[in-house]
Amino acid sequence: MRALIFGARSLVRQPGRTALGILGIAAVGALLFDMLLLSRGLVVSFRDLLDSIGFDVRITATDSPLPAGVRMKDATRAASDVARLPQVAEVLPMRTANGEIVLSRGRVVPAGITGMDPGTRHPWTIVSGVDLTPRATPPEIVVNEQLRDEIGVAPGSELTLRAACDPGRAVAAPRTFKLVGVAQFPFDDEAQSTAVVSRDALREACGDDRDEADMLMVASSGGAAAAVTAIKAARPDLYPITNEQIVARMQTQGFTYFRQISAVLSAITLLFGFLLITVLLTVSVNQRLAEIAALRALGFSRMRAAADVFVQGALLVGVGGVLAVPLGMALSIWLDRILKTMPGIPSAMHFFVFEPRTLLTHVALLVATTLLASAYPMWLVARLPIAATLRSEVVG
Amino acid sequence: MGDVVSLSAEADGSQPRSFRIVGAYEPTPDPMRLGAARHEVRLHLPDLIDLQDTGSNQLDTERVDAINVAIAPGSDAGAVGRRISTSVPGAITQRTGNDQRRTAPFVVLERFHLAIAIVTVLASSVFLLALMLMLVEERRATVGVLRLIGFRRSRILQHVLAEGVVIALAGAAFGILLSVVLEGGINRFFQWRYDTALVFVRITPGVAMRSIAVAVPLGVAAIFASSWSLLHKEVLALTRR
Repeated sequence: MRALIFGARSLVRQPGRTALGILGIAAVGALLFDMLLLSRGLVVSFRDLLDSIGFDVRITATDSPLPAGVRMKDATRAASDVARLPQVAEVLPMRTANGEIVLSRGRVVPAGITGMDPGTRHPWTIVSGVDLTPRATPPEIVVNEQLRDEIGVAPGSELTLRAACDPGRAVAAPRTFKLVGVAQFPFDDEAQSTAVVSRDALREACGDDRDEADMLMVASSGGAAAAVTAIKAARPDLYPITNEQIVARMQTQGFTYFRQISAVLSAITLLFGFLLITVLLTVSVNQRLAEIAALRALGFSRMRAAADVFVQGALLVGVGGVLAVPLGMALSIWLDRILKTMPGIPSAMHFFVFEPRTLLTHVALLVATTLLASAYPMWLVARLPIAATLRSEVVG
Repeated sequence: MGDVVSLSAEADGSQPRSFRIVGAYEPTPDPMRLGAARHEVRLHLPDLIDLQDTGSNQLDTERVDAINVAIAPGSDAGAVGRRISTSVPGAITQRTGNDQRRTAPFVVLERFHLAIAIVTVLASSVFLLALMLMLVEERRATVGVLRLIGFRRSRILQHVLAEGVVIALAGAAFGILLSVVLEGGINRFFQWRYDTALVFVRITPGVAMRSIAVAVPLGVAAIFASSWSLLHKEVLALTRR
């Protein structure tokens, strides 16, 4: 306790230097905190996004869990086979296509079209109007806010949609849909125009009678892993994958760049923080050699003198580290905004996501840095020859 | 090499065609697919069209995704593109060097790195200021003696600034040298990590000049700011008399 008070007084005696030291550590700490948020941010955010939809298993025709790959044939039968399993609560086939909304005077607005029947779980959130109703006539369509703003029509209006479902085929004739609602789709990016129609309506718009789906969205009733095992046993020709497995796959393939950059910048930041604290403490000790030697002559033990240096370092890092957290949170909002302008990143996803474990890692790294950075100045103080130092510093 | 494999365009592996492996190739580095396990094969175009042909559409055998065009040396790429667009209705021409869809993520990453650099420079500036404050404090007596023997404040300030420029230039040069030395190591590590031939770090003269343009004024400003209070103190206060 005495060492703490003594160290605090030593710092207060030089307010300018102390303030700059704390500011420097706060800035370095903020950057370190942000890199820790970045290291797992995309993974956590992506997992939250997948889980928020309400489906925990996806089934595709191939090993690729992403839509728009090789389509699953005879999708209705596959969906009913899976739905019969006791481990499965709900199955919804989903098909995607490109399309364009044909407006007056030939103006067209391109949009991504999803064909999905309304179920008890909705991968979208209605913000105005109503949701799709099964087997409606004329067929209904729900658009996202971006598309609504581009086409400038309100729910209740009619829309003409031209779907292009297969790049090898001629585009089908345009079909009329009734716009019934506006929704937010979790995987949309800032500039993406999206619409959803029922699967039958999309099939008709595509002008084909193929019963295909990009994937089956499955909600399990007794855990995703059990559902996957049951699906594999019932339909070995299909590829079921849990949200956790998708996240794990993305972690090893898709998000590695940000993990690497976060690791590199964290290491540089820690090195920088280490240098900052070491230099501050070492120069401070060198300037106070006479004072330290006098204190030792008065009876301060080696341990006590070294503890004084450590406490100074700990106080600098402690106050700077505490300031670093709000500073880092504010900085992460700015950096997140920059990175989210990257095309194809869903609006609901974030690069910087706070988790309690991030804070613990941050504290642990700062403590380790303080210990390492204080080691050299503490060693200088501990081996200080009292008489020789007093002679050279005071008499000399 | 020499083995025969079956390929199918169908999810269930139906209608497979046999192909003999005649070689292995290093894929063209693609920054968009960094870290992804790339399973790729290359076939003759007629073989690929034949593999995908389901017989349901006559146009299937006439379809390609893109046609790569190498223009004659000295030709205007823009003019060639416009001519193709007008003479082949429905065709979209795009210069390979101007593919904004592909470069957009890297423009964002550049902005992100710039933001990180700004924060780093701010943190470094505080560090530098704290360091200079301590160093200047150590020279309190020297400045006092110089003032006592007749040196004017402006003269001492000139010395301080000159010293600042030299230190900042030396620091910037050392920083650039260090980054040049690290450049190879960083590139080799990431090329090994991602199994790619992409270059991750390139220290260009432009980057070096930009670093100097930021570091030198910053260093001089830090020295100037930290010396300011010392130069404006009374001589006796400096010499502690």
